[in-house]
Amino acid sequence: MASDHLLELTDIEAGYGRAALVLRGLTVQVPPAQIVCLVGPNGAGKSTVLKVASGMLVPRSGRILVDGADVTGQGPQQLLRAGLSHVLQGHSVFKEMTVGENVNLGAFSVRDTQRVAERLDFVKSLFPLVADRWDALAGALSGGQQKQVEFARSLMVDPKVVLLDEPSMGLDPKATAVIFEQVVRMRDAGTAVLLVEQNARRALESADVGLVLDLGRVHISGPARELLDDPKLGELYLGGRPRTQATERHPS
Amino acid sequence: MRNASDTTSTRSTDRGDSPVVRVIRGVQILAVIAAAVGVLVFPLTGPGPFILSVGVVILSYACMATGWNFVGGFTGYISLGHAAFTGLGGYAVGLLILRADVPPWVALVLAGLIVAALSVPIGFASLRVRGASFVIMSLALVLIMLLVFQSWSDVTGGSNGLRVPRPFGPEVLRPEQHERFYYLHVALLVIMLVVWWAIDRSRFGAGLKAIREDEDKAQSLGIPTFNYKLSVYVISAFFTALAGGLYALWFGFLDPIFQFSILTGSYMVLMSLLGGIRSLLGPALGAAIVGYAIEFFKAQYGDTQFHLVALGLLLGLVVLFMPEGILPSLGRLVDRLRPSATSIREESAEDLANKNAAAEPRAQDPEETETVLVDDNGRHL
Repeated sequence: MASDHLLELTDIEAGYGRAALVLRGLTVQVPPAQIVCLVGPNGAGKSTVLKVASGMLVPRSGRILVDGADVTGQGPQQLLRAGLSHVLQGHSVFKEMTVGENVNLGAFSVRDTQRVAERLDFVKSLFPLVADRWDALAGALSGGQQKQVEFARSLMVDPKVVLLDEPSMGLDPKATAVIFEQVVRMRDAGTAVLLVEQNARRALESADVGLVLDLGRVHISGPARELLDDPKLGELYLGGRPRTQATERHPS
Repeated sequence: MRNASDTTSTRSTDRGDSPVVRVIRGVQILAVIAAAVGVLVFPLTGPGPFILSVGVVILSYACMATGWNFVGGFTGYISLGHAAFTGLGGYAVGLLILRADVPPWVALVLAGLIVAALSVPIGFASLRVRGASFVIMSLALVLIMLLVFQSWSDVTGGSNGLRVPRPFGPEVLRPEQHERFYYLHVALLVIMLVVWWAIDRSRFGAGLKAIREDEDKAQSLGIPTFNYKLSVYVISAFFTALAGGLYALWFGFLDPIFQFSILTGSYMVLMSLLGGIRSLLGPALGAAIVGYAIEFFKAQYGDTQFHLVALGLLLGLVVLFMPEGILPSLGRLVDRLRPSATSIREESAEDLANKNAAAEPRAQDPEETETVLVDDNGRHL
């Protein structure tokens, strides 16, 4: 296996309980300093990919490699240590704590205070908002600002790959634009990003690589730009054409 | 109203350079010093044995509530069964003195350690569940202890109770005795407050507070949530047991029905909630108010259960009007006094001097308009 990918999910099969598999032989590779974006209809398994990648869900088969090291079957804390930082869906700041406390909690698993201080400087330069609102209660910030605090928190461990689960959820278009700008900035600062988005078009505009997921497999993959221009994508994602299994229903 | 006032930057208020902020901080410090002096001087004012004994009881409540607040305040786990630890602490002290001839003060420390050791398996079992289930587990603990100590009469004296020998000799008279225990309780309370304060500022404390807000998120950030909860639970049990043990040495008699009472556990919770569980001094303040109220109502209504009704009413009012407790509510009130406009003005006064040349009129925000006006006035002068 070429270890020029920071995160590799290979032939992953995963599901919940005894229900049918959600991921059926999925392969995803995240190269360094690139934004890889997973898009696909509801129920395609996008969030499940992130759960597998962050160790919250152990796959039934397949392998997970982080920077060449096999971490299959390990729990969230070990994967965090291995370099995968997960920004959960929805608002996940600690609302009753200050921005500063929130960001510092991101470095909880790092013991080296010198390194934490360096990371803090880096994070503050990347997200000036964090420095500006350091003593404000996180719950008092707007949704988009809270997302930035979450980004800052996730970067405190100096992750190899940041997993973003629907960062634009619940945000207005303006805040969404800011958030994607921040994601690009994270990438430019050297962090690889695995991004899951409902807002497929907007996400692909910012991403480097796009993967279209359907029925637990990667259906189409390629440079994000090309996918955007591909009429097939619109057809599939917008549900223009009936899919092979009749069990799925699309919201109109 | 911290949120509404945070329109610009909080850094300026945080530096505390504003005179108003300084005055508020000064008043806060003075209030704490005044309270501390008041507590220390109280026995010297010749209050008489009965009133002094009320003081000891209130301080004992303050110790118990502060001990409870290690778990309740940091993790948000509401234990209604902490009376199990005061009771165990009291019985451990009594039994060590009576059955093992341990000197009383050594027995007190040993009792704390024994109860801390016992709380490990108890916490291990009960901290696996959250919310209402945890509350019910904690209640069950007290009831189990009550049954054990009532039935195991060979060792514990059963329902007849247990007489604990006084630590001071017979030459020490009652008022003198009360006074000594008064200061012993003050010392214990101070130790607890210092430990609580230290945890509050530590990494450990940050992890605990993250658990209070959202345990799952805390875990996803790599905080070893279970170990943290268990550690603070053991610390809490240790201090609560010391409070119970000290009370046993003072009171001199243990009856299982009062030692392992759900009412005592509820008092700890109510006192803490009243004062504010997220603040250092909240539980002690709550204990002073509720403890005084309990004694007052008892004196007023004699042997009836009416003091419970009056207390319930008082707490109902608090929950209705100050659900966060007294200290946080006061803090919020003070924050409202703290003029956010002042700090904005100050900031823009500096900034505007530099920016003025290139200043584009930024007058959409009413607050900003006001800022510019004030600054204009300043320049006219």
